[in-house]
Amino acid sequence: MTCHDAREQLSALIDDALGAAERGAVEEHLATCAECRRELERLRDTVALLRAVEPARAPAGFVDRVLEAARPKPWPRRLFRALLLPWPVKLPIEAAAIVLVAVGVVYVFRSTLEPARFYDAPPSGTTILSDTARPSSDASRDAARPPEATRAQGATRAKETARTLEGGRPQEAVRAREAERAPEAAKAKERDRAPEKQALEKKSPEGPPAAKTTPAPEAFKEAGQQSKDADERRAKLDDTARDVAKRQANVPPAEPQVAGKLEESPARAERSQDTAGARARSLAREPEPRTDTLQAPRAAAPAPAIASFVAPDVSGRLAVPDRDAALQTLARLLARLGGVEDRRFVGDEGPIVELTISREAYPELLRDLAALGRWQLVREAPALPEKVRVVLRITR
Amino acid sequence: MDRLRRGDPRAFEELVIAYQHRVFGVALRMLGSRAEAEEAAQEVFLRAHRAIADFRGDAKLSTWLYAIASRLCMNRLASGERRLLREGEETLARIPSGHPSPADELERSERDAALHRAIAELSDERRMVVVLRDLEGLSYEEIASALDLELGTVRSRLHRARMDLKEKLERFLP
Repeated sequence: MTCHDAREQLSALIDDALGAAERGAVEEHLATCAECRRELERLRDTVALLRAVEPARAPAGFVDRVLEAARPKPWPRRLFRALLLPWPVKLPIEAAAIVLVAVGVVYVFRSTLEPARFYDAPPSGTTILSDTARPSSDASRDAARPPEATRAQGATRAKETARTLEGGRPQEAVRAREAERAPEAAKAKERDRAPEKQALEKKSPEGPPAAKTTPAPEAFKEAGQQSKDADERRAKLDDTARDVAKRQANVPPAEPQVAGKLEESPARAERSQDTAGARARSLAREPEPRTDTLQAPRAAAPAPAIASFVAPDVSGRLAVPDRDAALQTLARLLARLGGVEDRRFVGDEGPIVELTISREAYPELLRDLAALGRWQLVREAPALPEKVRVVLRITR
Repeated sequence: MDRLRRGDPRAFEELVIAYQHRVFGVALRMLGSRAEAEEAAQEVFLRAHRAIADFRGDAKLSTWLYAIASRLCMNRLASGERRLLREGEETLARIPSGHPSPADELERSERDAALHRAIAELSDERRMVVVLRDLEGLSYEEIASALDLELGTVRSRLHRARMDLKEKLERFLP
């Protein structure tokens, strides 16, 4: 037996785990090999060290904890675990619950916040300088307006409406033809408007004027779809119209009436002109402002009143030392980037500008805004449309 | 055994009392942490409790429990989910002595530390065999049965483990 073979058996020799023959052979080699005997002794000492290790003891209370854990659970808990513990059952239930909650949250969020997000919630007391839409909540302020101012402004606007309709623009002709599809009741009322113009003048203010020209739902929807065209038209309005708009800043929009105006075809333009003129005259005579007559000029730009309830794609704040200079720079910037300033408000903190810019030019606009002052992006739609509607609040 | 198979709670309690330290010892030396060892030891007894009806009795009850304990520990070691930090100083208990001198105490402390380290550094398979044989005192046959290994494999693993330890503890040997 070689030293290598003998040393392989030393552990078993120590443990007395060798057969008689193996043991004899190893002992025979050890008798003649001092080196292997020394190896055996060192191995024996190592094993002695290991065996001298004090046995580990389980911590106090271990038995009680094991017995408690092994005790059968009450049947309701076992049933509950049996129902919910298997993953194939548990996972779908949990997933469905998460999806339901998410859908619910999104639904509630959208339905409650949509009106509240109007222009990123401009501060109260905002004065609208544009000639177009305003939140309908302004209606409450109407009552406080001096009747004279309202009448004067109403008359001017009525004349403008008449001029506009007289022009008989083709777009409106198309729209009017589409509006012809509206239910008969609405159309009949519309047709009857001219003959009733005198009667209209005598109607009491309490009479719901919107009811006379309330459009069918379809016509109302069409008016909403025409908001783009209306935006373009709006941009072309002359300075006179803007002055008028300033004076009538607090007049309620009364969208149904606006949509109703869309139903007027070029063929009826003449009639409408008469109606508008008659209204203007009647306004001059009437002691109290009439809501229906005040709405007449709104036919010039009806759609934005509806579009205004759609939240802008982007809103943000621009803090600058000189707001007037910033507005001028913004105007130049828009001219360069091909953007259009749609409206301008005066809020408590400063001007609020709504503008439209192409999606391609939008990143550059953001860069330039950041260069103008301290720019803070408040909201940005996840997916921007071709024409991005931006609301800027310019503050100090 | 019959009482155990019939589900006699008292019999199970006696089983836990009788084997708690041995099962816990194997878990502690294999896993290194007292907390993890207690958790594993508890799981061993719970598994035994659930499977007692399947125990055929052709091996000793202790061997059966060691088999459950060793499998559970090896699974935990292989899972990779266990804590990496081992409480090395807890791995082995101190070797008792009478009233040692400060010099003896220092030497014993160094030797214990070296012993912990040496055992902890063994591969899991070799450590398991050494623990069962030299710390728990199982026979080769019992180890082969508990670990489901050939007798020759047990013998060679044990020898390799002891040779590793001998080399690492050379300076503490007389």
